[in-house]
Amino acid sequence: MHELSLMAELIKLVSEDAHDRGIIKVSKIDVIVGDLSNVLPEALEEAFIYLRPRVEALFDEQTELHVIREEARAACRSCRTEFVPDYRIAFCPVCRLPTSELLSGETFRVESYEGCDEDGN
Amino acid sequence: MEINLKEEVLKDQNKAAAFNRKLFQDSRTLVINIMSSPGAGKTTLLEATVKALAREYKIGVIEGDLATERDADRLRALGVDTVQINTVGGCHLDARMIAKKLPEFDLEKTDILFIENIGNLVCPSGYDLGQHFKVVVLSVPEGNDKIPKYPIMFRRTDMTLINKIDLLPYVPFNLVEAAEDLKSINPEALFKPVSALTGDRMGEWTGWIREVYHTCLAR
Repeated sequence: MHELSLMAELIKLVSEDAHDRGIIKVSKIDVIVGDLSNVLPEALEEAFIYLRPRVEALFDEQTELHVIREEARAACRSCRTEFVPDYRIAFCPVCRLPTSELLSGETFRVESYEGCDEDGN
Repeated sequence: MEINLKEEVLKDQNKAAAFNRKLFQDSRTLVINIMSSPGAGKTTLLEATVKALAREYKIGVIEGDLATERDADRLRALGVDTVQINTVGGCHLDARMIAKKLPEFDLEKTDILFIENIGNLVCPSGYDLGQHFKVVVLSVPEGNDKIPKYPIMFRRTDMTLINKIDLLPYVPFNLVEAAEDLKSINPEALFKPVSALTGDRMGEWTGWIREVYHTCLAR
């Protein structure tokens, strides 16, 4: 599974940004994981716990990973019905034609993080 | 303090993909990223493809595997410039691994570059390598239910190549169902059944490569 390498990317992204802003401690990271992103939240959390102690002083055992699930939603191009797709991602349950487009569900993004600088701000 | 970062986790990887894409466009090299589960016949497909196209095009291959140079050696035996990437356990190729290997090719002189990804129907689908086309190979013995079982891979690829059709009389595989499932997941994707081993219908695949070579790289 690729969650370990994805988590290494995520930590690098947050660490570089924190460094640029003079943040010395990160307490919480909010990450959005879409249902169709091929990223398993449980494996991502395992990878976070495994990698967390390896990131210098920026992270510690209190640093929290908060996974926000993004539901997959699709809309039919012909009848405009909005629905949660099953594996037939493009298949409209009303028209019964493969005419739908995805509106959400593929996101894998760091939304925000919380941290403090040397002065405790 | 709270920082609203709003950055894609794969930002750096996607930047490297954009870098590769520009190089490929500037050097007029058609790049095809081939994915499948282990054993679907990617290397055999490449051997047959190279044999069919080598007289018209200068071809390069990047071979991805966890270990060994075995696949690279099979293609080198055909006289193709081949670079092996061993990921030592890594389950996919990413755009930075490709970028590091590109200096080993004379891209200006390379017409077509095939990238054979790590055998895996999950992880490689999420990594843009800067290619023009992503192709997934599904072989007949795996069963046509792999399409609905791994919808994200089939959603994110431009073509599904059904390989080993010479085995259709011996194992259960429903081509009609496979085509219908693919359509319900990715209606724009192309669907081509071939046998790389016997050469059956391989002309449809190599014909498509010739066609996209001219359409993608036209100035």
